Amino acid sequence: MSGVSLVGVSKSYGSVKALDHVSIDVCPGELLALLGPSGCGKTTLLRCVAGLERPDKGNVEIGQRDMTLVPTRDRPIGMVFQSYALFPNLTVRKNISFPLEVRRRPRKEIDERVDELLDLVRLSEQAERYPKQISGGQAQRCALGRALAANPEVLLLDEPLSALDALVRGRLRDEIRRIQQRVGITAIYVTHDQSEAMAIADRVAVMNHGRVEQIARPDEIYDMPATQFAATFVGSRNAVELDVRNGRVAIPGAFDIPAPEGTGSRAIAFFRPEDVRVSGPATSNGREAVGMPARVELKVFLGSTTRLHLVGQNGAGPISLYSDLPSHSAREIDEGALVHVEIDPALVQAFPL
Amino acid sequence: MAVDAATSRPPATELLGARRAGEATLSRVAKSLFFGAALFYLCVPMVAVLIYSFSTRWTANVLPDGYTLEWWQQTLSNPRIQSAFSTSVMLATLTAIIDIAVVVPAAYWSRVRNPHIRPVVELAAAIPFALPYIVIAFGLMQFSGIAAPQYQGTFALLVAGHAAIAFPFVYWAVDGAMAAAGIERLSETAEACGASPFQIVRRIVIPNISPGLVTGGLLSFAASFGEFAMAQIIGRSLDTVPLWSAEMIRSYSDTAGSYNRLAVVTLLTFLLLFALSAVVVYWNRGQTVRLLPGAGAARTGDGR
Ligand SMILES: Nc1ncnc2c1ncn2[C@@H]1O[C@H](COP(=O)(O)OP(=O)(O)OP(=O)(O)O)[C@@H](O)[C@H]1O
Ligand SMILES: [Mg+2]
Repeated sequence: MSGVSLVGVSKSYGSVKALDHVSIDVCPGELLALLGPSGCGKTTLLRCVAGLERPDKGNVEIGQRDMTLVPTRDRPIGMVFQSYALFPNLTVRKNISFPLEVRRRPRKEIDERVDELLDLVRLSEQAERYPKQISGGQAQRCALGRALAANPEVLLLDEPLSALDALVRGRLRDEIRRIQQRVGITAIYVTHDQSEAMAIADRVAVMNHGRVEQIARPDEIYDMPATQFAATFVGSRNAVELDVRNGRVAIPGAFDIPAPEGTGSRAIAFFRPEDVRVSGPATSNGREAVGMPARVELKVFLGSTTRLHLVGQNGAGPISLYSDLPSHSAREIDEGALVHVEIDPALVQAFPL
Repeated sequence: MAVDAATSRPPATELLGARRAGEATLSRVAKSLFFGAALFYLCVPMVAVLIYSFSTRWTANVLPDGYTLEWWQQTLSNPRIQSAFSTSVMLATLTAIIDIAVVVPAAYWSRVRNPHIRPVVELAAAIPFALPYIVIAFGLMQFSGIAAPQYQGTFALLVAGHAAIAFPFVYWAVDGAMAAAGIERLSETAEACGASPFQIVRRIVIPNISPGLVTGGLLSFAASFGEFAMAQIIGRSLDTVPLWSAEMIRSYSDTAGSYNRLAVVTLLTFLLLFALSAVVVYWNRGQTVRLLPGAGAARTGDGR
């Protein structure tokens, strides 16, 4: 098994820096998800690995071998594109056998391998159909089979599910993962859907403006985004802009943490809705409630959880934030009620503004 | 009777006319009226020629004085006409083959590998439309006189000339078919599958643009078959159908039946091209042939 390394890869289109000094190591057998908003350079990066684009600077290595100048067809890669790029003039079987036929493998070997692949991607029954005659999900499975046909060392997938509807997407995502693990192939998976990235990847690389902002395991990215961008892009978070006072960032009553390095007069604090602790409506029995007082503006039932839209009063002005509670504990809280809000300081991250 | 215009253009016009009518949102009646009028307009000259080819004498009256098969027999057994026909068919076939062989790789290259040269290729594909053929023919003759005098007046030079003026028909048809098929994407996919450029063109490009190939081939065949100006300047010693027809017209001798034989030849030409068009329509059934540059470009912007 071989990994993939990008070393200081840059690529510009005119004045647009699609990739800006990107260095990534994909370990052998690993599935790395490239996650980022539209136009951040994910496709460009993938195309550089495939050799469909030539980097302006930097090197691409596959399994320790420098591939920067190797033409696409000599690279040990298989590729699945966003929209079904099946050959319309070939049947499912012929599409899958194409990489083997252009390599002039013996007929018998081709037939055996294609049967095996048809089985792997569960298309044996559709083998003689043309691309026009199969569904979108089947088309992408066929594309996957074709990408794996010649036993490549690296599998490249560019938003393979984005043209499919939600139900098929989830199923096929898990299937791609299953197949990738069964084959044990190194894979790079481009997506702009964070839940897809989290669900499928061993590690996620968060990209923005042609740079890699963070590479980490999905749970690490989820819990501890390294940059402000990663924090906003991954998961839904509360983002509160606050003044810095005496080197500390705080919502009085709710949390109080040291300001991050390099902070000026303002900072932005991120925390997850599920980490916002809400203590029930302030009671008049004299017991001192802890936390920042806040009013429930809106209560949205989401099934297992309920989301509260809160407006807190901390003296300096109203602060809007969300809280997600298990639905059963939100039952007693009504819209308009006054509650108290607290956040574990260890779960708050602040970045300079 | 303008032989070359009448023989080479109707098939193409008819294809377009039919499609236009299909697209129109006119009411049924208006549609059939329009279609009927178009059909009438296209058919009357051919019907007149048909009747003339069977008539003994047709001068003063609405209909001919009498009918005969003589002209058809004479024409079909005339060795000179036979040889003109076979020369023209050879010429047009070679022209179409050469143009396809040159244009497919060139269009593929300019579309997929080096989009920078597209403006140059497109300009080259517009020049034969902009310059009168006679000017091009003269230029070619002058040039060959300097560069290769031994080829002057030969069949080979005429083939080269026809290939030069007919290639835009193939280019636009092929280029449109490539746009419609999304060749850039298919080509990249094939490359990622490990295919060489030759394998890509043979196994992926050609099968997916066959409607454009057939259409382009027919158009260039027709253009070459009916071409007169260049044939007259370059291939004076040769006998093509248009050259023979022009001679018949010039040698005004209606009594000898040369106009009737001309009508027969015109009809034969029409039938030949019509049969080829029918093949094209059959081949392309169910597919939209895009002859216009840039058609289908909306499909190329995916994935980014
Ligand atoms: N061939 C090209 N010519 C000019 N600019 C390009 C080209 N390809 C990409 N770009 C630009 O480079 C940047 C990165 O593009 P890229 O396709 O890699 O984004 P992406 O992350 O894949 O986006 P998406 O999620 O929308 O697919 C964009 O700003 C894009 O406009
Ligand atoms: Mg993309």
